[in-house]
Amino acid sequence: MTAADKTPVPAAEPREAGTQLRPGLWQTINERYPGSMIRKESFVSQASLSKPLAEARLTLISSCGVHCKTDPPLDVCHPFGDFRFKRVPSSSKQRELIIHQLKYPHDDADLDLNVIFPIERLQELHLERRIGSLTPNFFSFIGYNMDPERFERTVAADIADAVVQQEHADCALLAPA
Amino acid sequence: MSVPYLREAAAHDDLDKLVRFVRLHLGDGNEAVGQDEIDRSWAQATKILLRYEPVDREFISSVLEKEESTLALLFYHLHFYLIRKSGRWIHDGSR
Repeated sequence: MTAADKTPVPAAEPREAGTQLRPGLWQTINERYPGSMIRKESFVSQASLSKPLAEARLTLISSCGVHCKTDPPLDVCHPFGDFRFKRVPSSSKQRELIIHQLKYPHDDADLDLNVIFPIERLQELHLERRIGSLTPNFFSFIGYNMDPERFERTVAADIADAVVQQEHADCALLAPA
Repeated sequence: MSVPYLREAAAHDDLDKLVRFVRLHLGDGNEAVGQDEIDRSWAQATKILLRYEPVDREFISSVLEKEESTLALLFYHLHFYLIRKSGRWIHDGSR
């Protein structure tokens, strides 16, 4: 435990006051990577599901950087991140997909992609009628990003638009990598 | 480190902050590793040139006519290309 972990955390900081992060993480990250933690004052409340999951259309959104082998990869070398995303057909099989990432080891995910992009598990749940339907496309982007504000305006907004207007999803499964 | 933080550092020509970011980025969050990775990529480029193989200088000239942002990003791509060529790849578990 570091000295920063023992420092009382002001209750005003929502991330620190909640249970998402361990106490003191905010300070320790900011000490090691100055300016890396961005404060956000406005939050969008989580929407409630309007119908049972067995009747809902579900999409998958992941920061794992998976894409179809036939597609050019996202840019993993850019120091601030790639502000684009990839559509992955929800009918895809693991053999048709590839992980293109620099910032995390994906040896295990190369063996079983579903540990970070559970596409085949969702296909099974749909066949078992536990999920009403899957959107034609799922979504993937590079999680490494140094510009959260630009990310929110571009990748997040573009995926949100596509999920609602093109894919007509009722709900989304968010899978960080 | 966030882009606003780096923009401020760039505006003040704060080389320490900018270099620290580059090392953290190239070293996957470890500054010492990043510094070593930079050294390795330059050493690898030098090792390749020691072969005295033919080079396409016309191609280099045409590339250098591209806009600065493309060239700056190419610099990062070349770094990772050379690191992979060096045979020591630490970044994503792939070989």
